[in-house]
Amino acid sequence: MKKTKKRLEALGHGIFYFFLLLGGQPLAYLMLFPVVMVYVIASRRIHRLASPYIRRRFPDAGPAARFFHVFRLVLSFARVLVDRAWLGLRRNAALTGDFDNSGVLLDVLKEGRGLVLVTAHVGNWQTALSHIDLLETRVNSLMHYAEEEVAKHFFDLKGEKPSFNIIRNDGFMGGMIEASAALSRGEVVMVMADRWAGGPAVEVDFLGSRARFPAAAYGLAAATGVPVAVLLAAKTGMRSYSLHVWDIFHPERNRSEGPRQFEASAARFARALERYVERYPYQWYNFFDFWAAGSREKER
Amino acid sequence: MEKLKEELKEIIIRDLKIQGVDPADIDDDAPLFEEGLGLDSLDAVELVVLIQKHFGVQIEDMEEGREAFASINALARYVSERRPE
Repeated sequence: MKKTKKRLEALGHGIFYFFLLLGGQPLAYLMLFPVVMVYVIASRRIHRLASPYIRRRFPDAGPAARFFHVFRLVLSFARVLVDRAWLGLRRNAALTGDFDNSGVLLDVLKEGRGLVLVTAHVGNWQTALSHIDLLETRVNSLMHYAEEEVAKHFFDLKGEKPSFNIIRNDGFMGGMIEASAALSRGEVVMVMADRWAGGPAVEVDFLGSRARFPAAAYGLAAATGVPVAVLLAAKTGMRSYSLHVWDIFHPERNRSEGPRQFEASAARFARALERYVERYPYQWYNFFDFWAAGSREKER
Repeated sequence: MEKLKEELKEIIIRDLKIQGVDPADIDDDAPLFEEGLGLDSLDAVELVVLIQKHFGVQIEDMEEGREAFASINALARYVSERRPE
């Protein structure tokens, strides 16, 4: 039974890739519409996974409106997956990027002190990473295994060398030693700051309820004396995306408070992410109950 | 080497603000992290910065960190072998 399911899935992917090669993104996007609609109608699970976010982002929405929001969220995520496949299948394929306030980061880097970039699972973050080389300094990305595999997969498909260095965060001290060494050389360290997967964390308000956010990025910046910039990517069209620095700040240290010393920093990140989802409500891809203690414990 | 070990213990206690511990309480062979002094990954970053600031020695990666942070003895050995004259 499992073998048959796997074969059917592979066949489905194969057919999808065939149409992607045949008609490019427009045809694949068109095909996504009924597929996602059927999935959202048939799967209770996707509603359970998406609802914690949708209910907070659209608190006044009734059941029908929530269904529509879940559909749009899943469709948006599926389109990002199509974009990724399209970029991999067609060697000359490219997305056009717009980084409207990159000067803010370049000014900081000119001082030669390094920079912690915090980002989130939004837009097509792998594509954004591939265009980060305009910062003109080495960019290191602190990632856990799954993110590393996805990012590597993206570049494997493209047949390119990643424009950034990956620091694994599942080794000794969570990769923090390599990260601090990179910052001391004036380099950039990029950290996913919206999904906690162990290590120091703080709880702050996010979309009206307390949610746990990782704090390691702020500790890293505070210890090395570098600023933190919130950089979030958004898909703005079929073949375009936008990078924007949503906030920049210096985390404050007060060791006697333990990880809670970084609550103010995590709150600033959460505010920036709130402003992002206000503008791009269907581009934050965290399909689990971000706010429930139970699911966070399971993540451990 | 003994003087360097004392210096390292004082830096760790003072700059990492470890409460209720004297330099004499720190066993030279005890691990600095987790079950030893109870330091965590954020302390590791601060310690990397402190070692660079006080001794001009940069701990570059996980393997070096694992070696250097094994104990006070290991850290003193690591610093003395690499510090500029």
